[in-house]
Amino acid sequence: MRNPFRASDCWGPAGATATGLYTLFIGLPILALLIKAAQQESFFGSITGEPVLLALRLSLVTSFISTLIVIVVGTPFARILARSNSWILRVVDHLVELPLVLPPVVSGVAMLLAFGRQGILGPTLSGLGISLPFTAAAVIFAQLFVAAPFYIRSAKLGFQSVEREYEDISQTLGVSPWNTFRRLTLPLAAPSLLTGIALAWARAISEFGATIMFAGNLTGKTQTMPLAIMSALETSLDTAVALSLLLLLGALLALIALGLITRRRWTAGV
Amino acid sequence: MSPSKRGPAAARGWVNYQIGGFCLETEWEVLPGQIMALFGPSGAGKTTLLRTIAGLLRPQNGHIEIGGQVVFDRERNVWEPPHQRRVGFLTQQYHLFPHLTVAGNIAYGLNRRNSGKTRGQVRELARRFQLEGLEGRRPSEISAGQQQRVALARALAPNPAALLLDEPFTSLDTELRRTLRSELRTSLAQANIPVIMVSHDIEEAVSIGDLVQVISHGKPQATGNPLQVLGQPGQGRVARLVGVENLLNLRVASRHPQDGTMICRSGGLQLEVPLGDPAEGDAVTVGLRASDIILADAEPRGSSARNRLSGLVTGVELRPPGYEVTLTCKDADLKCHITGASLNEMGISPGMNLWAVFKASSCFLVREEADSRDTLL
Repeated sequence: MRNPFRASDCWGPAGATATGLYTLFIGLPILALLIKAAQQESFFGSITGEPVLLALRLSLVTSFISTLIVIVVGTPFARILARSNSWILRVVDHLVELPLVLPPVVSGVAMLLAFGRQGILGPTLSGLGISLPFTAAAVIFAQLFVAAPFYIRSAKLGFQSVEREYEDISQTLGVSPWNTFRRLTLPLAAPSLLTGIALAWARAISEFGATIMFAGNLTGKTQTMPLAIMSALETSLDTAVALSLLLLLGALLALIALGLITRRRWTAGV
Repeated sequence: MSPSKRGPAAARGWVNYQIGGFCLETEWEVLPGQIMALFGPSGAGKTTLLRTIAGLLRPQNGHIEIGGQVVFDRERNVWEPPHQRRVGFLTQQYHLFPHLTVAGNIAYGLNRRNSGKTRGQVRELARRFQLEGLEGRRPSEISAGQQQRVALARALAPNPAALLLDEPFTSLDTELRRTLRSELRTSLAQANIPVIMVSHDIEEAVSIGDLVQVISHGKPQATGNPLQVLGQPGQGRVARLVGVENLLNLRVASRHPQDGTMICRSGGLQLEVPLGDPAEGDAVTVGLRASDIILADAEPRGSSARNRLSGLVTGVELRPPGYEVTLTCKDADLKCHITGASLNEMGISPGMNLWAVFKASSCFLVREEADSRDTLL
């Protein structure tokens, strides 16, 4: 096997040190979590409690729905962003990325101010008999807000990576624009789209700040896994550790899936 | 009335397309089985023209007919989108779909891709383009020459009514280009549809085109038989575009209608050229291709060539596949193309005295339009 730190590379020693430190930094907490989980007497006992199961179900259902909405709305949106050079869309493009840098708690406050009872849309919504805060719908809203940019960004880059000439050629072969998108653009951009889906889902299921601000922390109603972990930490460390391990395993699976997906890149001809 | 039931028809039309400061204003007519080579420098509007014909760009004005069908006419408000035009389009890099196999690429434009009939069609095309055995490969796993054949098979599979080729040889090496050129000619002849091929290589344009159109600054400069247009181009602008190496400014000294020639002079330089319209005393520009000149180390006597000029070698430059020798005769520089073997055998080097020999019929008169000198490329 080749030495990954080549002597000829001026970054050799520094690179090796940095790699070691970083691996330790990331690895140690995860190792600690695993050790703590292994020391538990009844691992399953601590995660089969009713609140935990409710939180697990809520997290899976809401993250699934929000990811689905992100895909349905985000795909055509990303497609338009990828090909447009109008200044309005360029402004929108930057706006889309705002939630990526905004602290989730701030996003939560902003959403309260927009969709809350006292918010801008509050009277309209309550006029329709809708009250969003402290419902599962609010959980989905919060997840959408923070997770959508991950998918849109990745999908946009994916669509941009499909050279326009491919689509031109496809149309000159008698294939309509829609079928060209379905048969050519989509499969070519698929690795990026799937990466975006995995990232958005991971972000949605781990959402904490915006959720607790906008949806609250009601057991069985708006308490998702991350919120349940925080609540459990106050009463039972074992439950918190077990829940954390569950999320860790989920994240690990997503990471492996991501690796498998992105390994399969098309190598362009010529 | 299904368009596919019709026989082959010409591709013709005219367009006026403006974008920024660029204006494409041209017309064309190509018969079935005919190949028109569109020749010109980069930025002349060649690719733009192909894209307007394919429907990938919408010109401000014009009329385009393909396969006997009007696909664009601004006045009649006709605009067919690309996928309804039946125009095959080949790009420089071929753009084979990387997620599909060779067979998948060929079948892409066919309806009902899983039917037995389609499979038969793909097999037939693979056979015709010598791609048998490669059907299951990905585009990245086959050679550049094979990629070109796949691109051509893919373009011809849906039975287009016309084919557009955008510099189909650019991504190939010189050796392969020559082989594929004749191969391409053969397969296009079989297709019996009008073909327009963009090229910026003069040799390519002459060897493939039945018809050549020289285009520059978005305007056609000359259209016609390739040897006429490119070999002895009549217009100063075209002459420069196609790279006529020697353009000499002379004055008609005497006309000899009985020989079909005239004598032209400038300073001490004297040339015998084919008889043309200019009267005695008129200024003329005489064109002469560098490859039409023979170099000799002594004055050749008893030769039928009417022009023999003595001069001094002032430059020798490598110009694949041979060399370009600059011979200064009186005050004019003559560019001559010779092979490496001749260069070595004669030991040509700067400072040598040589004779340039060429026939009167190799010279041609170039019409200088009033504006041609200041609208050079």
